Amino acid sequence: MHRAIVAGLLMVACLSMAAAATAAEIGRIKSVVGAASVIRGKSVVRAAPGLLLQTGDSLKTGADGRIGITFIDNSRFAIGPNSAIALSKFEFDDTTHVGASLTTISRGSLAVVSGQIAHENKDAMRVRTPTSVLAARGTRFVVRVGP
Amino acid sequence: MLASCATTQVALLDAETPDGSAGAVAVIDPATGAERGQLTQARTEARLGGDAVRPHPLRAHFDALLSAMPPPPQVFTLYFVEGTTQLAPQSLATLDQLRAIVTSTSDVQITGYTDTTGDAASNDKLSLDRAIEVRAALVQQGLPVSNARVTGRGQRDLRVPTGPGVSEPANRRAEVIIR
Repeated sequence: MHRAIVAGLLMVACLSMAAAATAAEIGRIKSVVGAASVIRGKSVVRAAPGLLLQTGDSLKTGADGRIGITFIDNSRFAIGPNSAIALSKFEFDDTTHVGASLTTISRGSLAVVSGQIAHENKDAMRVRTPTSVLAARGTRFVVRVGP
Repeated sequence: MLASCATTQVALLDAETPDGSAGAVAVIDPATGAERGQLTQARTEARLGGDAVRPHPLRAHFDALLSAMPPPPQVFTLYFVEGTTQLAPQSLATLDQLRAIVTSTSDVQITGYTDTTGDAASNDKLSLDRAIEVRAALVQQGLPVSNARVTGRGQRDLRVPTGPGVSEPANRRAEVIIR
């Protein structure tokens, strides 16, 4: 019986590792200025151009930090200094163009150019701030969350 | 530290291209899902958090922030001979252009399409094969396979709208986006 439990646990562990290994790319960092990092689970890595981003990643910038990101639906972000931003949800089917995204900004500044998700799915590209939720309706906008 | 003390603002900017529409940003109450209002005019901003959204002319500028915005993806279109993955003669120059631009660090999305001749399932396959063919040409040029995403959209998204069963050269294409 113990053996069965161990085998079961191993299977769960393998499945979750496989899931981590195949976690889908949702975008890439294109530019970094100053101090900037990506937090994925318990690991923190320095933000660098070319780094692939996944759903659930958080981005943090220091007082001199800025990050540019291009997503797979062609939407783009510019993140300003002293920012904390989480890529809470990002789903995009590049065959059907069905998708939805949710980005959470808890502080700092974020400029957004919307892409195919906003273009093809009404109110599906969302940005959550501490006080409200924004829905992009095909647009370029800036959100600032002050201290 | 109360999050609700933070001043949160949203500003709607001009569209990136002169001919583009500024669109709009809707403000939604996170608890109820009700729309509090929206920004519909470019170069206006509004404070978030209250019950109403009161847009006023934008005073701040975001030059430093926008300097971090990646450039818009570049889009190229290649056309194909009917029912094949063979490039139409007029697209060979575009392929050469692409070959010249692509480097080992490019991030490329290739999407194949078909016209409406044939059934939907075989068009899905043909469109994907077209995308794969283009990828092969770019990989030969030094683009890592892992930097090139391919998809086939079959007869969805016709460039020239037609009924079913119509042979239309403009719809037999692959779109290459370089990000």
